[in-house]
Amino acid sequence: MKLSFFLVMIASPMWHLGQAFAEEVAPDFSKDILPLLAENCFACHGFDAEAREAGLRLDTREGAVGGGRTGVIVAGDAKASELVQRLHSDDPDLVMPPPETGKSLTAEQKQLISAWIDAGASYDAHWAFIAPKQPAVPDASNEASHPIDLFIEEQLGQAGLHSAPMANPATLIRRVSLDLIGLPPSPKEVQDFVNAWGEDSETAWTDLVDRLLESEHYGERWGRWWLDQARYADSNGYSIDAPRSIWKYRDWVVDAFNRDLPFDQFTIEQLAGDLLPEASLEQKIATGFHRNTQINQEGGIDKEQIRIDSVFVRVGTTGTGWLGLTVGCAQCHDHKFDPISQKEFYQIFAFFNNQDEPSIKVYPPGTDVDSINARRKELQEQIQEQIDANAEKLDVWEEALGEKAKNALSSSIKKVLGKQPGKRSFDDQVLLLSEVEELLGEEDRKAFKSLRDERSVLGKRLNDVPTTMVLSERGTPRKTNVFVKGDFTRPAEEVTPGTLSILHPFEQTETTVDRLDLARWIVDSANPLTSRVIVNRIWQQYFGAGIVATENDFGLVGARPTHPDLLDWMAVEWVKNGWSFKFLHRLIVTSNTYRQTSRLLPSMDRAMEMDADNRLLWKQNRLRLDAELVRDVALKASGLLSSKQGGPPVYPPIPDGVMGQGQVRRSWSVSQGEDRYRRGLYTFVYRGTPPPSLKVFDAPEGFSSCTRRTRSNTPLQSLNLMNDAAFFEFSQSLAKVIEEDGVSEAFLRCTSRQPNKTELELLKGLDELTVARALLNLDETITRE
Amino acid sequence: MMNSNPLLQQTRRHFFGQSAASTGALGLGSVALQSLMNRGTTFAGEAQHSDHPLAPKPTHFPAKAKNVIFLFMAGGPSQLEMFEHKPQLSERSGKPIPDSFIEGKRFAFMNSSHRTNLLGSRRTFKQYGDSGAYVSDLLPWTAEIVDEISIVKTLQADLFNHAPAKLFMNTGSGQFGRPSIGSWVTYGIGSECDDLPGFVVLQSGPRGPRGGSVLWGNGMLPSTYQGVPLRNQGDPILNLSTPESVSPDQQRKLVDVVNQLNEERLRQTGDGEIAARINAYEMAYRMQSSAPDLMDISDEDQDTLDLYGIKDPNESTYARNCLLSRRLIERGVRFVQLYDTNWDHHGGPTETLEKHLPSKCKDIDQPSAALVKDLKQRGLLDETIVIWGGEFGRTPMGEVRQNTGRNHHIDAFTMWLAGGGFKAGQVYGKTDDFGFEPVENSVHVHDLHATLLHQLGLDHERLTVRFQGRDFRLTDVHGRIVKELLA
Repeated sequence: MKLSFFLVMIASPMWHLGQAFAEEVAPDFSKDILPLLAENCFACHGFDAEAREAGLRLDTREGAVGGGRTGVIVAGDAKASELVQRLHSDDPDLVMPPPETGKSLTAEQKQLISAWIDAGASYDAHWAFIAPKQPAVPDASNEASHPIDLFIEEQLGQAGLHSAPMANPATLIRRVSLDLIGLPPSPKEVQDFVNAWGEDSETAWTDLVDRLLESEHYGERWGRWWLDQARYADSNGYSIDAPRSIWKYRDWVVDAFNRDLPFDQFTIEQLAGDLLPEASLEQKIATGFHRNTQINQEGGIDKEQIRIDSVFVRVGTTGTGWLGLTVGCAQCHDHKFDPISQKEFYQIFAFFNNQDEPSIKVYPPGTDVDSINARRKELQEQIQEQIDANAEKLDVWEEALGEKAKNALSSSIKKVLGKQPGKRSFDDQVLLLSEVEELLGEEDRKAFKSLRDERSVLGKRLNDVPTTMVLSERGTPRKTNVFVKGDFTRPAEEVTPGTLSILHPFEQTETTVDRLDLARWIVDSANPLTSRVIVNRIWQQYFGAGIVATENDFGLVGARPTHPDLLDWMAVEWVKNGWSFKFLHRLIVTSNTYRQTSRLLPSMDRAMEMDADNRLLWKQNRLRLDAELVRDVALKASGLLSSKQGGPPVYPPIPDGVMGQGQVRRSWSVSQGEDRYRRGLYTFVYRGTPPPSLKVFDAPEGFSSCTRRTRSNTPLQSLNLMNDAAFFEFSQSLAKVIEEDGVSEAFLRCTSRQPNKTELELLKGLDELTVARALLNLDETITRE
Repeated sequence: MMNSNPLLQQTRRHFFGQSAASTGALGLGSVALQSLMNRGTTFAGEAQHSDHPLAPKPTHFPAKAKNVIFLFMAGGPSQLEMFEHKPQLSERSGKPIPDSFIEGKRFAFMNSSHRTNLLGSRRTFKQYGDSGAYVSDLLPWTAEIVDEISIVKTLQADLFNHAPAKLFMNTGSGQFGRPSIGSWVTYGIGSECDDLPGFVVLQSGPRGPRGGSVLWGNGMLPSTYQGVPLRNQGDPILNLSTPESVSPDQQRKLVDVVNQLNEERLRQTGDGEIAARINAYEMAYRMQSSAPDLMDISDEDQDTLDLYGIKDPNESTYARNCLLSRRLIERGVRFVQLYDTNWDHHGGPTETLEKHLPSKCKDIDQPSAALVKDLKQRGLLDETIVIWGGEFGRTPMGEVRQNTGRNHHIDAFTMWLAGGGFKAGQVYGKTDDFGFEPVENSVHVHDLHATLLHQLGLDHERLTVRFQGRDFRLTDVHGRIVKELLA
């Protein structure tokens, strides 16, 4: 069976565009056939034995080709294969997939399957389950020398396309500033950069990238990226949605990016920081990652059910976040598409089934809790001595108290007096003696006060500190069972901790295994998934889509990589360079691919026709900014932005009535001073009633791990930018800039470029406030070009 | 219709005109242009219409209905005081429920010492209309429309606490973060209104419904499809009003200049997303006047106000919301949901069956019936589905608090549907002598969802969104179209 060029073009997805087309193209199982079988057949003829129909499985060659009644493929003979007959059948009872599934194959897809069977119906492993080997960088055929460009241009060349010209320097500095630190450059920074670019563009660029990667704002920008995946928010969720304190974890993430904590260590500390030898306070804070689950505080709930629900979410999030696999699908049954058994789901569950979920106090650095406690004990003893020395006087006073005098005392003292003298606590006794201080001599009184004061100051140092939610391992492990259909009231077979057998082996070094072993298994260099998954997700931030478009599903029904070699090359290169995020960012942004113009030019007609979604990257993409950055850009442009970093979440103004929309009305007392103008990252997020101006621009609420934000474009966004009180305040501030420095300065602050003649003409004759509002509303202002 | 927005048409003509003449500054080739005007930037799994994400979309098959009004009685109305006439229950009132009924069931709050004796209703029931449907004395107005509606006695849900149960009724799942039915519908078929959101939420009662805004959340669908609450105080839509110090003229100029500058940028960059944003600003601007117009019911005649029982047109009530829902449907809004809260009659001091339930019924009875009549007389009922009900019903057993009320019950509860191709004058499903469980024709919430989507021309098995590697549906892996309910 010969397949024409045309057939292959329309039958298979994009990545064939770049390949040279021979006369005969035998379909590649992993690329062409497996996705078809997975999507259309595996739900009933796949890995899940429970759901398997007619005893037939197509996910293994034995199942499909094997002899006897189940073999529906005759290798080398499509016509004789029942599978092919069924695909083509007109009989609704025979045709596959059955009509009621709503699935069907196109004629071209059917032909691909026939061609594959004719060629021998060979099976091989799914690409993502084989560890990446670093491919050779394609030969330089032109001036390009950056490895990324060589990979990209190789495929462009095969499709007869070429990359776009470089964007102009002003666009580039705005682009890379937004991408690396989430803030636009100041007009002066733009000017300096454009000048430097004129002298030596490459040096100017690498200097700029270095400067941005060293900025403390880098951690804010990329920390937020990770917090999406960590499902971070500041409340407990569910219907009560009470506030919680876990912002120390947020600060840990920001800081981890700023100090470029290698990703393997970054992973280990978040999944199992508490289990590291001599775990530091910071490492314990990092385990907040898996405390970002919701907590149900409703009446009438079953606490164990809620705990188990949290563990389900932790298993699913770990699978999605690090492995790019939908492990969570195996909670109720074996996975429909991927080789993940329900038992394996519960083996991973077992790692996460053995924790307590406390909050810990986070003392300022240098706080010596032990010595404070020792000193407090000393003070207590000295105070006790004083109390004892005055015991008789106190007794006399108490006995002499008349009914009337007693009634005049404060309620707390009355409460103490109501207790038997022997049953009064230390604090009771202190309170009592403080009440009758005049019984003490002048000197004793002073000494008593100073002891009390010191003790109370120390008490505050111990207690007036922020807390944060962490994981801590239990002494006695819980048993873990498979739950029938994921129902916690139906425990079945007992299981022990373990990992996915389709991936690299899990080596048990000690008799007991815990989360630390799981974390180390995840960042094992033999793991085929983690490095690819993270590299892909970083890439997605720069180009709007990943090399694998289904950034959270590298499994059988996930999208195929458009540039498999580039993905593997980067994944290996990243691990070789110590899992350094900064290395990876520098690698990508120094490529020409990244620096192409995002404009659609007349010369791109052919590219647009062949690849309208720009998957081959024949230009850059314009990307609407993330919700927090929409705010940050307006704050920066209007000169109001606070540069303060970290600390408890803040409450910028929000419209009236928003907080009344949840079940429990929550207070929102607007922050004063610079906290009113903090970056969006620091705004308090109630899961149930998220801040409208973040929500409207698609910020996640933290219900589940978010690996890619949608970018919607709605009238509610327009209303927000035009009329929201906060944005109006930014406009007023920007209007002052216009009064003082002119329209061009304000335009520059918003877009990093000078307005052209047409634009200036349009803005002419409008009052400053309207101009300022217009500038903050521009599509360009809220877009990275 | 949205896609006939004059501005965009003009923009489109402008561009095509220019490029055809090959003279304009844009100078894009025609392929590039068509692409940018038609599709914008989309990536795998993200089907976004560039011009207007809310533009009407084709249905899977011809639809019987166009719009939905969902009257949600938040808290769980007692079917046993309203629709379920159970003489046996009254006879055995005060006696323990036979064990065979409650074996293996889990109830909210059942760990505490709530008694489980049967509780007969004190209401009087009569049969009405040609259908002979029983309705209690609490709902005299509803009794008048029984021949217009299908009363379903055998609804079943999975979850018995308020917030999860409300989520379940709205999203088909007790998990937070799933799209609500209104979001699914607007995602599926868009909306026919170009100056209001496609999915609108109205609220009455003393507080927000338990679960809050996630009940009308878009979940994993783009936020374009989230339900937009029309608020009774302040701006009906968040940030709808022009800031106080800004004149209407300044606001118009703002929108004009923003769109002109955006057009200029569209010319420079060729990015179709900018065309969508221009459209969004026009719609936002129209919304600024259309939403207040909608809320201002002074153009309604006295007969209409009387029909709904609206005494003070400015007072925010369920009755006013019913009238607003008709006005929304008239304007082409696809999905309207009314929440009325405080239907949780456990027997506490402010939640009795004797005093508080009747007062809630009085609030909703006349307006709900009026809505059906009004839609009918205006010829809108055929194309509009009206649904009445809560997240669950209430137990045949009494729950003793300060008074005797009823607990949450998910095994059999009552809802009614009208219009939109549902059979008029039908009672569907039958429960046992105590109203504890269906004895025939049970209808699960998933079935209700499947049937609603079906009437709107949507196949519940094909209306999916891929998220984290899985196709999600409103009906999960369940759902049966209840054909018997359909005309």
